[in-house]
Amino acid sequence: MKQREFLSTVMPFKDKLYRLAKRLLVSSEEAEDAVQEVYLKLWNGKDRIKNYVNPEAFAITMTKNYCLDRLKSKQAANLKIVHSNYQNSDNLEKKVEANDGVSIVFKIMETLPEQQRMILQLRDVEQFEFAEIAQMLESNETAVRVSLSRARKTVREQLIKQYNYGVS
Amino acid sequence: MELAKIEQLLEAYFEGTTTLVEEASLRDYFSGSEVAPQFVMYQPLFVGLKQAKGEVSHKEIRLPSPAFNLNSWWYGIAAMLVVGVAIGSVLFSQPQLSQEEKEAVAAFEKSKETLRLLSESLNKGTEELAYLNEFTKGTSSIAHINQFTDTKNKILK
Repeated sequence: MKQREFLSTVMPFKDKLYRLAKRLLVSSEEAEDAVQEVYLKLWNGKDRIKNYVNPEAFAITMTKNYCLDRLKSKQAANLKIVHSNYQNSDNLEKKVEANDGVSIVFKIMETLPEQQRMILQLRDVEQFEFAEIAQMLESNETAVRVSLSRARKTVREQLIKQYNYGVS
Repeated sequence: MELAKIEQLLEAYFEGTTTLVEEASLRDYFSGSEVAPQFVMYQPLFVGLKQAKGEVSHKEIRLPSPAFNLNSWWYGIAAMLVVGVAIGSVLFSQPQLSQEEKEAVAAFEKSKETLRLLSESLNKGTEELAYLNEFTKGTSSIAHINQFTDTKNKILK
């Protein structure tokens, strides 16, 4: 597979990989690095990529695995993941005023378990079908639906709480 | 959209039973300016989800450069040169024999010719020896003379 052919196959979903990585790793720099790593891996396995029915789903699975590994090794190395969260939240807070309180949603999403975060991202942002998400996350449709419902309900509770706090 | 319909869709949304089309219609409704006050707390969610899709990565992906192809080109040329030199050295090494070696080769050819002639003569000799068999035949014929001798002796007795 030539580089041009490879790029035309995998580049269309670069931003989807980036957004998923960012949803998990929070920091945009780390998300960029993750996407870079995933593309290197894809490039190294480029001769096999034709065999995959859906290269996009395959790349998303790789991104998910890479980010979860990163999170795990961060926890193991006891790095200050919380610190980068705060930094990001600061940035988000600046956006809050500009975006009519939209960023509160992203803050709430950061508190969700990783699996729910990914499902919310893949369904509500990227708008994939349940079957596709199940394939990407190596899960099944029912489990995806249940997690999605939980994630949405958590966001709703938090939103209502925030809303009532703002009103009263 | 009617409020009852929105309420119903929202309920289904939180249960995880809406379709992609229904979810799109919810996002559209909340992106509009006329959101009913009882649903206004959900507006950040749907607007946020829509905005999240607009986020893009600006960093270029770096792949191992195509210089690798150029290298393999050079490897090919280098390999061809090595093979060429090897073949050339075999082809052109023959005439470069020293005087001594040339004499030795000439002597070798000469002795080979001599030995060939010798072997030819020997073969001729062997063919001629085949006539000796005739003598053997003759000898066996002579043996029959004994029969005569036996008969003659009987008569003489």
